[in-house]
Amino acid sequence: MGLYEVIELFQAAWTTMWIAAISIVIGIISALIIAIIREKKIPFLTEILTFYISIIRAVPLVTLTLFVFLSIPSFGINLHCITAGIIALTVNTTAFNAEIFRTALERFSPDQREAAESIGMSNFTFYRYIMLPQIFTISLPALVNEMSNLIKSTPAIAMIGVIDLTQVTKQISSVTYEPMPPILCAGVIYMLMISFLVKAQRMAEKKALRLAM
Amino acid sequence: MPDTTVIRIKNLSKQFNGVEVLRDINLDIKKGEVVSILGSSGSGKSTLLRCMNYLEQPERGKIFVDNMRMGVNESTNKPMTHNQLAKMREKICMVFQNFNLWPHLTVLQNVMEALLHVKKMPKKQAKEIAAEQLEKVGMEDFLEQYPITLSGGQKQRVAIARSLAMSPDVLLFDEPTSALDPERVEEVLMVMKKLSQEGYTMVVVTHEMEFARMVSDQVVFLEKGKLIEKSAPEKFFTNPDAIRVRQFLKLDPQ
Amino acid sequence: MEDWITIWEARSIFIDGFATTLGIFLYSSFIAFFIGLLLLYFLENSNKNWQYLIMLFVNGMRTIPFLVFAYLLYYGLPELGIRLDGYTAGLVGLALYHGAYFCEILLSRRRVMPNGLIEAALAHGFKKKTLFVRMILPNTVMNSLPLIGNQLINCLKDSAFLSILTVEEITFAANNIQSVHYIPIKAFACAIVLYWAITLAIEFVMNKLIKIGNQKGFNHA
Repeated sequence: MGLYEVIELFQAAWTTMWIAAISIVIGIISALIIAIIREKKIPFLTEILTFYISIIRAVPLVTLTLFVFLSIPSFGINLHCITAGIIALTVNTTAFNAEIFRTALERFSPDQREAAESIGMSNFTFYRYIMLPQIFTISLPALVNEMSNLIKSTPAIAMIGVIDLTQVTKQISSVTYEPMPPILCAGVIYMLMISFLVKAQRMAEKKALRLAM
Repeated sequence: MPDTTVIRIKNLSKQFNGVEVLRDINLDIKKGEVVSILGSSGSGKSTLLRCMNYLEQPERGKIFVDNMRMGVNESTNKPMTHNQLAKMREKICMVFQNFNLWPHLTVLQNVMEALLHVKKMPKKQAKEIAAEQLEKVGMEDFLEQYPITLSGGQKQRVAIARSLAMSPDVLLFDEPTSALDPERVEEVLMVMKKLSQEGYTMVVVTHEMEFARMVSDQVVFLEKGKLIEKSAPEKFFTNPDAIRVRQFLKLDPQ
Repeated sequence: MEDWITIWEARSIFIDGFATTLGIFLYSSFIAFFIGLLLLYFLENSNKNWQYLIMLFVNGMRTIPFLVFAYLLYYGLPELGIRLDGYTAGLVGLALYHGAYFCEILLSRRRVMPNGLIEAALAHGFKKKTLFVRMILPNTVMNSLPLIGNQLINCLKDSAFLSILTVEEITFAANNIQSVHYIPIKAFACAIVLYWAITLAIEFVMNKLIKIGNQKGFNHA
């Protein structure tokens, strides 16, 4: 495996990383929105969201990715494989993050809301400065754990043609006829990425412990 | 009556993190004797007791139970395997300060467990023995209950039955009443008194002075890891030799 | 409507795929769980070197994607002379990979087991094997049931990766049908329902076990 192949490997690693990053960020934001909607118990919407979450948690990402990539063109939209991959990853991680936020919201003591109301604090201020920061900090370890899971599931998008870190190993070995070196390198790169997140999770746990709800 | 020494402790020493917790302890316990071990906190009493069934390993010295060396294979001078140690522990059962009943088993199952899986007894026989011992400690109405429903005193009595069921040569008690509410202490002490009258060999680490005075054959005092007094209760509680013991019992007017 | 008829007529592909997924899932998850227990036993009862190696394996599996490990077995092993077909590589991969995860789940429960429980067993003559089977195993397993259930669902979902290794399971079947008949939404909807059904079954069984556990006093520790 020569220099050219190593460069290909790192390019694919970069692809994996930025696709994951986008999905992670959008996934957290939309999950937060969903969690707040469910907390407000808006009638029709809550049922649909609960249904969506329970389905997504049961469906493999591979299946979901194929579903997204092959179904959306039926509506006349042409989808690049990377976009489809990001959509699938985001839809998947949103469901898990929404559950994480839901648990945190359930445990959030109503006393704090009562205290805020009793001093005349507006709803928006309460959410923005009191509730959401705490919810976020408490959920941080689980969210970081979900981020590692997302990265570990990114190989699913290889199925629709994205040259991610896992798919590139097949590409390289089809030229060099030596499958082990690129697979081992890819493994090491994944290990570095995930180990970094594991460290981040430990730091997040320490921070969350301070809130100890 | 033939003199049978059940436990012989010779020159026992132990360190924890560089601190000497036990220093050169010598102690003999005869069959049928009740020995109480007293001392202030941190004096090493529990450690001494836990060395007797090798839950703690001494650094120096020897412990003999029924003339067999504990923890070390005398012929090869190598440490015993875990299974050899387990075999010896069938004869020395311990009652713990925090009861340590197995939470996933009922009262009856708790007492039967060791009989079934250590002594490999048939279920019917194990059940009979277990029921018998539970009746002896007064817990026969609680057979199907789980430990979580019991009070501290009840749990400790079940723990005693659990040890009795193994027909051990020695019963070790590690501060058996220290974790109990004062009202519950009496029910456990009464069971222990009954056992002493029935001739069981017992080694009891305790703070209960009255109990020690009434029931013991020997009282032993540990101070900073050293055994500084070993006498019969009459002497120990009225006129001990060691000054520290006199202080401890507040015998001399200030 | 015609599309649904098409699917119904092609149902044998789905049925075969479902049977394959179910078979892979049941075999690999049972073996994985057993591997997890075995690793836990050896972590309890072996010297520091073995413990280090086991933890290296367990932690390693938790930092790589399943597909990379499966590729290692499927494409990499032939270099050492061992040629596995997709099904076998997938089965072995799932069993080892999720075995590591089961070990970690049981290990984290073992770490918070009250020491007194173990000491009482030791003090009454329990040997290592009996201690593990009668005390450690029941308490760690019965108190980790929700996490074990989650891991089983993850194992099921990872089985879909095997379609990349040409194993003809549910996702493969759905892809097959939609590529022939151009009905992606309905075909994958069927696949989703099939996976969902297995997940519901897993959750049903786990809930029953949790109930039994509560009755038998397992959450009292």
